[in-house]
Amino acid sequence: MPPIEKDTGKNELKTKIQKLIDSNQVVVFSKSYCPYCIQVKDLFKELKIEFNVMELDLMENGSNYQEMLLEMTGQRTVPQVFINKTHVGGCDKTMQAHKDGSLQQLLSGEKEVYDYDLIVIGGGSGGLACSKEAAMLGKKVMVLDYVVPTPTGTTWGLGGTCVNVGCIPKKLMHQTALLATAIQDARKFGWEFDESVKHNWDTMKTAVNSYIGSLNWGYRVALRDKNVDYVNAYAEFIEPHKIKATNKRGKETFHTAARFVLATGERPRYLGVPGDKEYCITSDDLFSLSYCPGKTLVIGASYVALECGGFLAGLGLDVTVMVRSILLRGFDQEMANRAGAHMETHGVKFIRKFVPTKIEQLEEGSPGRLKVTAKSTETDETIEDEYNTVLIAVGRNACTDKIGLDKAGVKVNPKNGKIPVNDEEQTNVPHIYAIGDILEEKWELTPVAIQAGKLLARRLYGGSTVKCDYIHVPTTVFTPLEYGACGLSEERATELYGPDNIEVYHSLFWPLEFTVPSRDNNQCYAKIICNKLDSDRVVGFHYLGPNAGEVTQGFGAAMKCGATKEHFDATIGIHPTCAEVFTTLEVSKRSGGDITQSGC
Amino acid sequence: MAHRFLARRIWTLSVTDVRCLPSSAVASSSRASFLAPSRTLAVSHAVRRAVSFNVQDNEDFTERVINSDLPVLVDFHAQWCGPCKILGPRLEKAVAKQKGRVAMAKVDIDDHTDLAIEYGVSAVPTVIAMRGGDIVDRFVGIKDDDQLDSFVCKVIGQ
Repeated sequence: MPPIEKDTGKNELKTKIQKLIDSNQVVVFSKSYCPYCIQVKDLFKELKIEFNVMELDLMENGSNYQEMLLEMTGQRTVPQVFINKTHVGGCDKTMQAHKDGSLQQLLSGEKEVYDYDLIVIGGGSGGLACSKEAAMLGKKVMVLDYVVPTPTGTTWGLGGTCVNVGCIPKKLMHQTALLATAIQDARKFGWEFDESVKHNWDTMKTAVNSYIGSLNWGYRVALRDKNVDYVNAYAEFIEPHKIKATNKRGKETFHTAARFVLATGERPRYLGVPGDKEYCITSDDLFSLSYCPGKTLVIGASYVALECGGFLAGLGLDVTVMVRSILLRGFDQEMANRAGAHMETHGVKFIRKFVPTKIEQLEEGSPGRLKVTAKSTETDETIEDEYNTVLIAVGRNACTDKIGLDKAGVKVNPKNGKIPVNDEEQTNVPHIYAIGDILEEKWELTPVAIQAGKLLARRLYGGSTVKCDYIHVPTTVFTPLEYGACGLSEERATELYGPDNIEVYHSLFWPLEFTVPSRDNNQCYAKIICNKLDSDRVVGFHYLGPNAGEVTQGFGAAMKCGATKEHFDATIGIHPTCAEVFTTLEVSKRSGGDITQSGC
Repeated sequence: MAHRFLARRIWTLSVTDVRCLPSSAVASSSRASFLAPSRTLAVSHAVRRAVSFNVQDNEDFTERVINSDLPVLVDFHAQWCGPCKILGPRLEKAVAKQKGRVAMAKVDIDDHTDLAIEYGVSAVPTVIAMRGGDIVDRFVGIKDDDQLDSFVCKVIGQ
């Protein structure tokens, strides 16, 4: 038991420190030599704010002060900044508070009382991850989510695009198509079964949507369990710290928060030609379509277009893809063209360099009949054809135009509706942040939004300084022959490092599983791009073949660790697999060596 | 208890809401016409004695579950839930055996999310046994016929 006198001494010191905090607008506990302390003191000087500084290293009992501060604030290190009796924290926290405006608010002494610490607008992958993380860090959080029905009336539950009308149903329907190939292969492996194999759209659609239903529910429960307030209503700013929420019955409620995160995502873009909204569908409608779409025209060459076109063809439907210019803009073009070529050899028709000019209904029905007129992008030629379904997949628009951002003063890129942010996902309005697909020049991928949302919450409320890394993001396009990539495209690497400073290694390969059914030889392809100026570090990874997601994920980790060509070569392959091709890449593109696989 | 009173108060308010705003009921005509007879039936003795019924809304839940004279088994289920489709008929059978000494209310958690969230449902099927407005027992997942029989017996106090 410590002597009583010492305790009394402790209490005296505590009272002394508390008095100091209570009687000064700004107190900085500092050490004279500490660069972070100097930074903080400089900030207050620059802001022309008087502050009381305690240089602990120059005081006789400075270490006692530091011990007591630890007890009082949970922080041992200096600087420790107090403004109007509030513990702001160290250098990072003070700078952050200066940036997001909360420092000024503390200084002015007016402590606004808000309903919430954080309001997240959008209940997709990013918004949910961010809100749950913030709530786990003890903050009062609200999430608002509202799905505006598509022109044909489709709507869905909580969880955003990925869960409801993106990754999840897409991959399940892609799997449905892969099973058709597996059934064909099966005969070659000796399976015998009756000739007639049919696909039932309704069974697939119901099964897929049942699974989605369970996910929607899971998200709802997770919000309840983490004490996040959820409101199924459309949110729009009416003041910088206040939103109006309108539910589906038109009832309005108002909520305020100290901070906001925008995570509203994107919705499919329409063409702006006669008949597009009236008769066409988008990926928002496809996955819950109540009837099999029949003969389908897919407009666009985005990954959404190729994935949807791919699995519809895999179900045995007559599918045409109308492409204005190139496939998979932004992706490695060699890979995009190889993925497209594979689709073409598997029954998908491509109409290149044409754009639709009007869509007319010939007959109503489920599906009905539509006439599509299109014109060439190069000549005066026009073409017409009939389809049962027209699926538009020409890109997506950020949902940022009808959420009152002007009222909050948030800057939006007028060209594409995207929101520019700094490397901490902060918009030009310091207390408003943005994550996910609405960010300018960032990946439109669920796991990226989740990561960004989580890390943002940890930085805001958990004292973390870790930022979201948007480099070396692995991803996969689920075309019939899947395309996995991580890092730079060949075009981008060439542009960045110069053609002489990169070495591209590549190879065609024939998956063992394809040999017995003897299909798709010399279609699967592997390529890595190495930076010669940096120990042949692998800066681009590209894989066209089965299970691309599974293959790419691990190599993504390797690239995060800075793997070089030598590391790849030194890795023992797993035999017999597709991924092992990356451990034996010998032919460089520059050498022009033969990469075709011939026989055994 | 406090929770129950609170629930009752909230739901009484929501009832008033609906009555104050007939336009909202008319707006969704299919729903309105669906609700109307159930409201009338709810007061009739026959329906109170019916083996099982689908809960229509919060008001209906208050009337036929919380204010029920009989113990009620509330089966929280979902369309997308396979096990629910197995449990539902089994539970119905177990309840039928009791010849009117216990009722069964079916709540679709997607149609009545707020109810399910309020009653702490995390996974389906979840069955909650209520007597006099209080939760007296609950279980999650599948049970066989014998287990259900003993669960039901326990609830009605045999």
